[in-house]
Amino acid sequence: MSALAIQPWGNYALALAASVECLRVEPWTQTSSTPEMLRLGVEASPECSCLSFKASTGHFIRAAMEGVPYGVMVNSRGTCRLRYYREAQQKILWERGLNLHIFGLGYDGFKPPLIRYFDPDPWPFLQCCARARLKTLVVDEIEKQAWRLRARECRPGETTRVMNGCLRALREARTTREIRAVSRGVPERFAGIATDPDRPVLRVGLLGEATVLRDRFLNHNIEDLLGGLGVEVCNFFLLGDEIRNIFHIGFNSPNSRRALRRDAAPWLTTPVGGHATESVAHTVRCAREGFDGVAHICPTGCMPEISIRPILRRISRELDFPILECSFDEHSSHVGFVTRLEAFVDLLHDRRRKRGAA
Amino acid sequence: MNRRAYLGVDAGSISLNLVLLDADGAVLFEAPYRRIEGNPVAAVGAGLRELRATLPADVEIAAAGVTGSGRHLMAAVIGADVVKNEISAHARAAVHLHPDVQTIFEIGGQDSKVTVVRDGAVVDFAMNLVCAAGTGSFLDAQAKRLNLSIEAFGAMALRAKRPTAIAGRCTVFAESDMIHKQQIGHRQEDIVLGLCHAMVRNFLGNVCRGKEVRPPVLLQGGVSANPGIRRAFEDVLGYPVTVPERHLAMGAIGAALFAARAGVSRTRFRGFAIGEQPVETQGFDCEDCANRCEVVEIVVEGEVIGRAGGRCRKWEATGAAAGEAGESAETLKR
Repeated sequence: MSALAIQPWGNYALALAASVECLRVEPWTQTSSTPEMLRLGVEASPECSCLSFKASTGHFIRAAMEGVPYGVMVNSRGTCRLRYYREAQQKILWERGLNLHIFGLGYDGFKPPLIRYFDPDPWPFLQCCARARLKTLVVDEIEKQAWRLRARECRPGETTRVMNGCLRALREARTTREIRAVSRGVPERFAGIATDPDRPVLRVGLLGEATVLRDRFLNHNIEDLLGGLGVEVCNFFLLGDEIRNIFHIGFNSPNSRRALRRDAAPWLTTPVGGHATESVAHTVRCAREGFDGVAHICPTGCMPEISIRPILRRISRELDFPILECSFDEHSSHVGFVTRLEAFVDLLHDRRRKRGAA
Repeated sequence: MNRRAYLGVDAGSISLNLVLLDADGAVLFEAPYRRIEGNPVAAVGAGLRELRATLPADVEIAAAGVTGSGRHLMAAVIGADVVKNEISAHARAAVHLHPDVQTIFEIGGQDSKVTVVRDGAVVDFAMNLVCAAGTGSFLDAQAKRLNLSIEAFGAMALRAKRPTAIAGRCTVFAESDMIHKQQIGHRQEDIVLGLCHAMVRNFLGNVCRGKEVRPPVLLQGGVSANPGIRRAFEDVLGYPVTVPERHLAMGAIGAALFAARAGVSRTRFRGFAIGEQPVETQGFDCEDCANRCEVVEIVVEGEVIGRAGGRCRKWEATGAAAGEAGESAETLKR
């Protein structure tokens, strides 16, 4: 059977892999990039391209080296450079003599090119999409439990182990019935984790650029690091919401594009591409909903997210709300990043103590 | 009854500082400034030997704190009760010794940080990201090119009348510019002060961008020993900048203060034997996931006493917990 390389997108890779089953190809993906992929990508990419570009280019190069003939890459509409990534990556691969054809997933006609090429039967295709959607929801459910418990666990690393167990079960689930069974078992699996009820737990929102938010190699394992420091995180890149927004369904969802634009409107009305509007809206919401702070994370030079940094600083000032800015590229020092996270957590604890005393 | 004292160790990129505080936070002992020269374990051993030589018999170490970029390794080596990041440690010491401080500039060998303090609490901070052009390494490199010791460099800057404008964005370009300025006849002390100005502008422009810098300002970290930098800061900011009396030990003092506050009933400090025993390190590449972290093990007399260097927390959780620490991302790979 032929294979299809899918960009690593955190644990959503499981759902994305399930979505291509009906195309009669084997998905080639993983839950995070690897140092080797990044090295390959950095060598092949223009220096000024962003970390996400370099990592996904490296991913496709690695796939091509293993003989994978096809790949799929988002190339969504919008003002971010992501729109041209598929073409740029395809050119890089061809110039290196690698025969991997990358399909776009964006709008260029009624059917996305991937569907046009493989032309699956409509009914199995829809069933497959429904299963993938269900897996996405289960991934979200698993991660929410992990975010909550990692900050409170007594034995470091236990939550991650349970989470990986759930994800493996989810990967093996083939039918809707099996996926639902995994979903039902999730609370039970997490219930076994011993927690410390007295630990003061902070709440921090993670927002910014989607790939870096979800790829734990690129974001230096931020969810795990913060969890270890006693912080319950909430990652605001949710694939389910993203898909709903792409297909303009779910108008009344709190995370619909319209609702997000409304919340961002006092600070940002012009679309600047990427997930910039979402970042602004979620920052404002976190401030209102009693989060202790947010971490805004993006690749160095990510145009949309960098454009809103001054806006985020203004929000931080006006709403008296701490925001940690983190930019990543292939040279980012892990030690320096950990230092900043720890100092940020100390700052948030101090604020909380002061508020408690006041 | 023995007097309780608190040990603080700041293991930075270039130097190691070690202090001992009493229960009121007064400094009982400060080890002389020591460059690490690639061997932090030997450096802390030497510092502890010096401390032991001067320690009165009735003083016992009740808790130990470590900070600095090498804190995780150091914590395992000495057996620390508190491991603190250097931003919080420096701020803690600054507020303890100068309660009215509003801004802290902490410039070390490879990191430079600004910390904004209001009412004795950190409210904002920033740190240099990838470039070292605002740090001690920049000055070290330039002093070497001028064939000056870093101490003579600072003294010379104070003699300057007019700083020469030098492009300080990047160490390599600074060198080209500096050579050009020498060739057209600028005085060496003006060039030296010009370099200090370049570094200060870089720091204020990049690290402090968007941060509210207000006096009183404290300058601490290794670079604060250079009077030229202090002068350059005062020239640019237009108000005095304070260099605290124990400016090199501020990180260590902060770590000791955190250790004192932690309420440790029984310290994990391994005692002064660390200075005498041979401490060895060995490394391995963890193959449990795609990150392939290089994990360092600290070995004393054949026994692994700690580990550092992993990206997930499983190796740092020492002893029995480590072996069963769990599956990783790669096992999910399809």
